[in-house]
Amino acid sequence: MNLGTRKILDNSFTAVGMGSIVVMALALLVVLTPIVYNGVGSVFFTGTIEHRTMLYKEFGRGDAKAIETQTATADRYRAEAYRMLSDFEQEMEGMSLEASRQYRSKYAPVRAAMSSLLGPLPGDPVPMLTRFQYGQTRWEKAEEKLHNILYEKKWDYSDPTVMAKAFDVPRAEEFAGTKLAPLFSYAERHLADMMQPQFTVYWGFFTDRSLDAHIFGGIWPEIQGTFFLAIGAMLFAFPLGVIAAVYFTEYAKEGFFTSILRSANSTLAGVPSIVFGLFGLAFFINTMKVSESKSVLAGALTLAIMILPTIIRAAEEAILSVPKTYKEASLGLGSTKWNTIVTVILPAALPGIITGGIISLGRAAGETAPIIFTAAVSVGSAIGIADVFSSPTPALSWNIYNLASEHEMASEIRHVQYGMVLSLVSIVLLLNLSAILLRAKISQKLKG
Amino acid sequence: MTEEVKTDGQRSSAFVVSPQKRKMQKLAKNAGETLLLGIASFVAIIVLFIFFFVAVDAIPYFQLRGFTEFFTSTGWYPADEPGEFGALAIIYGSAMVTFGSALLAVPMGIAAAVCLSDILPFSVRQYAKPVIEMLAAIPSVAFGFFALVILAPLLQSNGGPLLMWTWWILAAPFLLLAVIVAADLLSARFAQEENRKKMALLLQSLFGLLAVLVLYVVGTKLNAIEIITGTNALNVSIILSFMALPTIVSVAEDALQSVGRELREGSYALGATRAETLLKTVLPAASSGILAAVILGIMRALGETMVVWMASGNSSHIPDPWYNYLDAVRTLTATIAGDMGEADQVTGSERYHVLFAMGLLLLVISFFSNLVSERIVVRQRKILSGQ
Repeated sequence: MNLGTRKILDNSFTAVGMGSIVVMALALLVVLTPIVYNGVGSVFFTGTIEHRTMLYKEFGRGDAKAIETQTATADRYRAEAYRMLSDFEQEMEGMSLEASRQYRSKYAPVRAAMSSLLGPLPGDPVPMLTRFQYGQTRWEKAEEKLHNILYEKKWDYSDPTVMAKAFDVPRAEEFAGTKLAPLFSYAERHLADMMQPQFTVYWGFFTDRSLDAHIFGGIWPEIQGTFFLAIGAMLFAFPLGVIAAVYFTEYAKEGFFTSILRSANSTLAGVPSIVFGLFGLAFFINTMKVSESKSVLAGALTLAIMILPTIIRAAEEAILSVPKTYKEASLGLGSTKWNTIVTVILPAALPGIITGGIISLGRAAGETAPIIFTAAVSVGSAIGIADVFSSPTPALSWNIYNLASEHEMASEIRHVQYGMVLSLVSIVLLLNLSAILLRAKISQKLKG
Repeated sequence: MTEEVKTDGQRSSAFVVSPQKRKMQKLAKNAGETLLLGIASFVAIIVLFIFFFVAVDAIPYFQLRGFTEFFTSTGWYPADEPGEFGALAIIYGSAMVTFGSALLAVPMGIAAAVCLSDILPFSVRQYAKPVIEMLAAIPSVAFGFFALVILAPLLQSNGGPLLMWTWWILAAPFLLLAVIVAADLLSARFAQEENRKKMALLLQSLFGLLAVLVLYVVGTKLNAIEIITGTNALNVSIILSFMALPTIVSVAEDALQSVGRELREGSYALGATRAETLLKTVLPAASSGILAAVILGIMRALGETMVVWMASGNSSHIPDPWYNYLDAVRTLTATIAGDMGEADQVTGSERYHVLFAMGLLLLVISFFSNLVSERIVVRQRKILSGQ
């Protein structure tokens, strides 16, 4: 091979290596960007009058006077639309049986879409579920609903070789000549007047309880549950892990028994997270009966087992990185081994141990599989600190799954899901970031 | 204290410990060490407990139904009366997404590890490491959410063009490289000294034309693909590969760093380029450590639950044809997570125990892979330290 080709090969080898690091960074960016962008939208968004009314009625927050005047304005514009609906309903009474039946079936979706945009129509009974008591609370959702009012979605099956394509048919054409026809252009023109959009900052998203399975309200129960579980897991795992690390580094004599203990540690680190869930269910709940059924306690214990190997490893590394001279000086001054460990080695290793602890805390907060069978419920209110021994809790990680995959209105509440994902990711990444910074500081200190 | 030191040879009473006290101290020391040992063995006890309790709930299934159905049948109808518990398709699904993610993650991970340990200067490495750590820290449910809400619709609506562009971006540089190398090798072999340059140019243009043709034909084929469902094995494999990458990179980097400078310097001294040094000297020396990294990365992908549960489609069948990554699959972890809610958790039933059987299968696989990778790492350390 000539030298030029060898150089090209050498450079392209470098390029492949750098390329894969760039791909990783890009992947991080691609995953995080939409989560951050849309997640921020759960707090900062254009809210409608329905959002402010809901907040005022359900949480008692907001400027009553401003809401009243805005509602009055919105109602004035809405009344016109309601009048068109009722006019058309009367017109249908007077039609021939055939025509009336045809129009009735076309009219039903229009009425449903109107009610989902504006809330219950005049004359409707007050709905039982909170989700039907208010119209659209967010402006972009209101625009979506307007589209549903203006157009009927139809499917084109004409070509059997390709997948059916959707296309929109304007309803204004279908109702041409009736008293409903002006509604469509009216709704399009006066949407803003009917909804009174206004830039909203909803900090309550983090501190409010959820209403009607997260269709309105905030995610406080999930945030609290995540903290309970993660901190509970740390309470069990951190002391155990640090003590075990002290044993491994200071007391263990290299031998068969110690090597078995070390293998056990790496085996535990490799157990799939869902198997921890199975174990938590079979052992803590069905055998030990730490609680009747799922509970925060059972979940925290399961998570504690999962993060134990990480804590042990981090603590071991931190203790080993303490300079030998510290220990020798302390022993030389006549202090006992245990005294040296407690007063010299552990304080010197503490930043490193805490770094490992912080990373494990993040892992415990983000893990889902171990808590599915042991601690998590889909809907529920925030639990008191006294209930942690007996009751399950909602948690961010589990509820992200639940809202995205199992919620009956999953596609309607994407903003809540994004808000939850952003909260979870920021909790975990902030913890990790602080660990990284702490570690950088330690290495600087050790360098002197 | 000074007044107590009276004459040489006579010990001060301040330093004298009574035999009783010494006994107590020794007792306390022994008790303390036993306690420490007890706490340290806690991990081993937990591992035993995990095996025991998962096995205890898994064995009743095999007692009731035997082994054949679980491992050879593809019929998974646990809700029927009587139920069918053929897990072959589910095991296959697990293997499929794990293999797919390994296919993407292993080359990338090794390349990135080599880059981190040998190529990048320290200043750049400082920024690359946190990126990898952040990638490892992102909760799996967030990856699952991304796969379900963003990647799946994208694949479904624009799958063909997306595949085509990925192919072009990835394949073009490699094909270009292959053209140059092939032309160089062939011209060196068959042409005379004076004609070599001309021959190489001729071959390069010939192969280049061929490469463009390949790029174009495969590209149009990929462009024509319509992905029926975005929640499929491909989607999951891509996401899982990025979850396995940090493990592979960090373990492989450790292995590469443990190969000493002497080997590298020896290779450079013989006139090898950096790529040749890395490929022919460093990588073979670190191969067992890298194998351990690959095993650990694969285990990470196999044991992952949330991503596959949310984005694999959860359809229990072997794709048709068997290598069709655009089909929905179902994995062991997702089945455990998804079916436990409907199984009778308190009294137990076949449906409940079969999930533990799957858990046991995962546990056994992870146990042996860990054992193997650990042995490999220990052996490599011994070889490299010259014992």
